[in-house]
Amino acid sequence: MSTHLDLLSPLLQLFFSYFKELVGKEVTVELKNDLAIRGTLHSVDQYLNIKLENIRVVDQDKYPHMLSVRNCFIRGSVVRYVQLPPDGVDIDILHDATRREARGG
Amino acid sequence: MVLGLQHFDDPVGDENGGPRLDSDAGEELMLVERGVAIALGSRPPDSPGTLYITTRRVIWLSDTDKGNGYAVDFLSVCLHAVSRDPEAYSLPCIYTQIETEGGDNEESESSDSESHGDLELSNVTEMRLIPSDPGQLDTLFGIFCQCAELNPEPQEEEEENSWFFGNEEMADDGSDSEWQLSEHHANPIGYANGDHDLACTVHELRINDQRFEDAEEVESASRNGHQFSG
Repeated sequence: MSTHLDLLSPLLQLFFSYFKELVGKEVTVELKNDLAIRGTLHSVDQYLNIKLENIRVVDQDKYPHMLSVRNCFIRGSVVRYVQLPPDGVDIDILHDATRREARGG
Repeated sequence: MVLGLQHFDDPVGDENGGPRLDSDAGEELMLVERGVAIALGSRPPDSPGTLYITTRRVIWLSDTDKGNGYAVDFLSVCLHAVSRDPEAYSLPCIYTQIETEGGDNEESESSDSESHGDLELSNVTEMRLIPSDPGQLDTLFGIFCQCAELNPEPQEEEEENSWFFGNEEMADDGSDSEWQLSEHHANPIGYANGDHDLACTVHELRINDQRFEDAEEVESASRNGHQFSG
């Protein structure tokens, strides 16, 4: 764990280390403005900024012009949910991480 | 900080006609790209101008109309993307979504842009930057990414509570602080507001340990009792 990360909230760290494991997988990112974007997770940074590739918009009627944007950078603070692929959820890792979190570090 | 797009009418800051930057706050120019048109909301693109990307914001100044310019902080840029598909937009561009003060204003935004020549900038949720050289799109995208990462949310101090509770609705609720006072033990462990509460939690855990020991003694005593009676 880098010293830079230690400055950030433990919750951010938890999500950051978890999302890093999902790079290359297909996720759906739902923004606080209700836009939901599906794409391949290209990268994530410590602020949970998310880069997606080969994206498509889930609600295509509402955002027809965003049908086929190649790559996309999403500001971490506007993300409401990230829907994970079923095979990308390692229950053991999540349990372990949340238990560690519950102990306060 | 003001969310959303603003008119940029600061006097010219350097001899090349560039914008005046807030250099006291460490704002630096990252990239200057000439021949970039801008399209706000569903409006047709403005005549070409010059794009200035700084460490803090995106500024566009018209070449023909010196008084015409726009600026948006990176903190307000929700997402940015490279759009090359002609079906998505007729010209290759950097597509951005902008967070506004009013939240979801899409309907009023589109009607404003139709009826008024001068649209309400504070309602604009989409901005496209159209470079005359589409080969610059990837460079622009990369600079946008860099600058977005330079501008993380300033939430560490002032928005601590709303972060922990996870949504704006609760933060806006007036009874929020009261709720914390009466039931602060409901805070997730490790997320209490300061060391004091953490210390309380540890203290409680110790009390629980003692209770465990007592229970065992009682249990063994009763087991002895059983032996006597049997």
